[in-house]
Amino acid sequence: MTSPTTWRRALAGAAAITTAALVLAGCTGTAGDQTIADKAPTELEGTVSFWHFFADREADVIQSVIDDFEAANPKVTVDVHSGQDDEKLQKAISAGTTVDLGMSYSTDIVGSFCNSGAFRDLGPYIDRDKVDLGQFTDTVKSYTEFDGVRCSMPVLTDVYALYYNEDLLNAAGFTEPPKTLSELEEMGLALTTYNDDGSIKTLGFNPLMGYYENSAAHLGPLASAQWLNDDGTSAVGSSDGWNELMEWQKAYVDEIGLDKLQAFTAGLGQEFSADNAFQTGQVALNLDGEYRTAFIDDQTPDLKYGTAPFPVVDSQPDLYGAGYITGNIAGISKGSKNPELAWALLKYLTTDTDAVVKLANGLKNVPSTHDALASPDLEVTPQFQVFLDIAANANTETTPPSPSGAGYQQSFGDYWDKYQQGQGGDLADGLKGVDKEINDALELVSGP
Amino acid sequence: MTAIALTRKRPFSGGRFLVWVGEHVVLVTVAVLFIAPIVFVVLTSFMTSDQTLTATVWPNPWTFENYLKAFSEVPLLQWFGNSALYAVLATAFMLVSSVPAAYVLARIKFRFANVIFIAIIVAMLLPPQVTAVPIYVMWAKLGLTGSLAPLILPNLLGDAFSIFLLRQFFLTIPKEYADAARIDGNGEFGVLWRVIIPMAKPGIAATAIFLFFHSWNDYYGPLLYTSENPAWWPVAYGLATFRGSHSTDWGLTTAITMLVMIPVVVIFFFAQRTFVEGIALTGVKG
Amino acid sequence: MLAPALLGLAIFFVYPLIASVYYSFTRFDLVSDPEFIGFRNYEYLFTKDPKVATAALNTLWFVLIMVPVKLLFAFFVANLLVRSRRGNGVWRTLYYLPALVPPVASVVAFVFLFNPGTGPVNTILKALGIHGPLWFNDPNLSKPTLLLLSIWVMGDVMIILLAGLLDVPRELYEAAGLDGANAAQKLRYVTLPTITPVLVFSLVTGIIAALQFFTEAAVASTVASGKAVVGEGTGSQLGYPNNSLLTYTQWLYVRGFGNYQLGYASALAVILFIVAAAFLVVLLRRVKAFTPEEATA
Repeated sequence: MTSPTTWRRALAGAAAITTAALVLAGCTGTAGDQTIADKAPTELEGTVSFWHFFADREADVIQSVIDDFEAANPKVTVDVHSGQDDEKLQKAISAGTTVDLGMSYSTDIVGSFCNSGAFRDLGPYIDRDKVDLGQFTDTVKSYTEFDGVRCSMPVLTDVYALYYNEDLLNAAGFTEPPKTLSELEEMGLALTTYNDDGSIKTLGFNPLMGYYENSAAHLGPLASAQWLNDDGTSAVGSSDGWNELMEWQKAYVDEIGLDKLQAFTAGLGQEFSADNAFQTGQVALNLDGEYRTAFIDDQTPDLKYGTAPFPVVDSQPDLYGAGYITGNIAGISKGSKNPELAWALLKYLTTDTDAVVKLANGLKNVPSTHDALASPDLEVTPQFQVFLDIAANANTETTPPSPSGAGYQQSFGDYWDKYQQGQGGDLADGLKGVDKEINDALELVSGP
Repeated sequence: MTAIALTRKRPFSGGRFLVWVGEHVVLVTVAVLFIAPIVFVVLTSFMTSDQTLTATVWPNPWTFENYLKAFSEVPLLQWFGNSALYAVLATAFMLVSSVPAAYVLARIKFRFANVIFIAIIVAMLLPPQVTAVPIYVMWAKLGLTGSLAPLILPNLLGDAFSIFLLRQFFLTIPKEYADAARIDGNGEFGVLWRVIIPMAKPGIAATAIFLFFHSWNDYYGPLLYTSENPAWWPVAYGLATFRGSHSTDWGLTTAITMLVMIPVVVIFFFAQRTFVEGIALTGVKG
Repeated sequence: MLAPALLGLAIFFVYPLIASVYYSFTRFDLVSDPEFIGFRNYEYLFTKDPKVATAALNTLWFVLIMVPVKLLFAFFVANLLVRSRRGNGVWRTLYYLPALVPPVASVVAFVFLFNPGTGPVNTILKALGIHGPLWFNDPNLSKPTLLLLSIWVMGDVMIILLAGLLDVPRELYEAAGLDGANAAQKLRYVTLPTITPVLVFSLVTGIIAALQFFTEAAVASTVASGKAVVGEGTGSQLGYPNNSLLTYTQWLYVRGFGNYQLGYASALAVILFIVAAAFLVVLLRRVKAFTPEEATA
């Protein structure tokens, strides 16, 4: 037994340290000032650290462009950190000065990084160096700024579409890819084969949410479904497209059986390995980004495949040709010790036509500038052309930046997961709940 | 009563025999179930990557390729080096700081001793996540996140669990030895160095092994502090992350899993007695 | 001699405890200064946070189910092993061995074994004509599958109990035997009274460990989901499938270090502290090893 006096003493001791502790906790570094030199430096020198998320073959592509930059600026060394996801990037930026230039795989962090100042406002640099923002398309411009603050620049764009295995489709007697979701389902079911024990052998189309690139964000534009209202609050519950997408997806899952799909999916190879289920022929129709064409060239060059815009909801056939667009973005870290150098590298990566084309050719990504898109050096296969067309389609949409980052997509994604498990309850009520969840979270991070 | 006494002398008769058989059936069945996971992992580590995705359990053909790939496809030696650095330094620092502290708490009477002891118990038992944010902020301000320093350096200022455990061991040493040493003119450091440490060697060894294993196996600490810097990844974090990101190769995964286990098992077999007694003591001497 | 440890307690225990309380009233992302927002974090925590209840209930599941089941199983095995028989050392080592496997490695191994498509467990079940379930990929089975893992690594608890059982004087059993006690009565009247302190100790440490349950669940989620981490980060994968493995401490990690809401994470930490402290106050008084008087006695 411990005597009450002992506990009281312990408490008293704790209280004594409180004041000192509070003083310590309260004092944090303040943001670096944003005044910049009147003119861009004529000669660049020093070391700049560049953090990006690519790995393996893709990291080599990035490196080749970095090499060009170093060759053009012999006194510059670029310290490249590859394989860094958003979580790690944020850790490194908040810890201080290790990051000069940071690149993210998606636009999700733009809202929070612009809002918090983790990425610097690029406005002063853009004005000073008279960078023409007109070279980017409107969508691309919209997802690289938040609330009037441009804190990032687009490094190529990603566009999502349908991949189909020509051999499998031909063998089953199909000559055209599907154009609506019900056509997709019909074809997908026809292409599905089963083992003797009833388990799935090969799948026409995998409707499970969470499988590879299946996500609400990538499907939304196919029903013109909206994420956020102009004031940043959730539009999920009030935008009709979601209902139709979700009901279609759930019915498809139930048609095959959730258990069978999950067992099959758990046995598939990892998305970015050579065992990717589309590349192995285990799945005949897949939702994926344009970068897959590069993976196929590299890992399974013998695969005969085609691409097409992803099928759209039956109620809005006019949408066919549109899709989801997003992109890699990069910005200068708040703690950058050499922001001029970081800016020079950023400008090179995002606006130098040769660099953009080289990156686009290497990664098989869609270029983000008009000049690069028009460049004769851009390698365009028939499969890749589909993505360029989707990028130019007026109904192609992106996920809007928000101070809660990708939080709103996660809230919705969680609900959709539950819904496909049959635990989502009434759909309309469920989506109202998602609205509330998103709005509450938004208020916590940015409310007055 | 006589009957019972008789059966005790003839253990293999009647009911006794059935009990014996029953116990051994259970013992063997459970043991097989316990060993099976390791056997499957070992077998898979010798399969080709194609075979790991099929419904066979026996390698055909046997291949050592996965073990070679483990060193060429992931920086396994670097991970091992980082883990060794983390575990060895953390353990050494802990001993330097915690042995004297435990001695004071075990054998010297002073004001607030109880308060400090309670603080150590609470620090030991509280989930580390309770204090994670301010400590993380502190290391971030010092610019030391992205390295193993935040995981190693605190041991210089004592580790609560180790202090507690060492104190328990020191309490088992009769006071008379220390008193005799004091009469011989030893200061407290002298008593600790000449009397307590030599007598508590097994306990100190057990504590050291605990912290070593704890550091070697740590996943949460490296996730928090070194995830953004692959140069400092220790092997436990590396294994989890490697599997989570770029491979579906179960042959390679199981080979790395085996390699991660081996150092721990080797240490265990060299220090089995100390270790098992140490574990037992944590619970029993309470 | 005590100075370094005191400094350690101040820097790594007392200060962060107080600072957590302070941060919990702020909005803080480490990039800019903490901004005082009153009780907003707590209001969100108790009335709006969509996952905190799920996370707390998952943690409670591990406390209420995993801890006792593991303890009972360890007690059962320790009872089997306490009889002296040939090859004692071998049996004990065999049962202890899994506890030595580094947790990350054991989880990776189990996810492999229980992979619904290609794992050996379902392969064997299939050979027996049983259609194997989805294990780690089924939200209803993910926790029970982790329970199997925790039973597999019960060796650490088993050793403590075994040492306790070996301390029970043999004469007591013989005396009880002479009085005509059966096995159940011996357990009730001889074994349990002697071993109770050890059981309580194991229960206490087990509960404490379960309250901070993180590594096994986190690794199981990230590995079983099979999703590639491209750019999202570890935090986005925790809880798979369907948040069924999302424990309270993981949720704290996600909010704090995945979303960088350090103020909110601090509020979660303060609540965790209150719950853990409540357990501690009750438990400290029950476990003799944790009372300081022994030092001065």
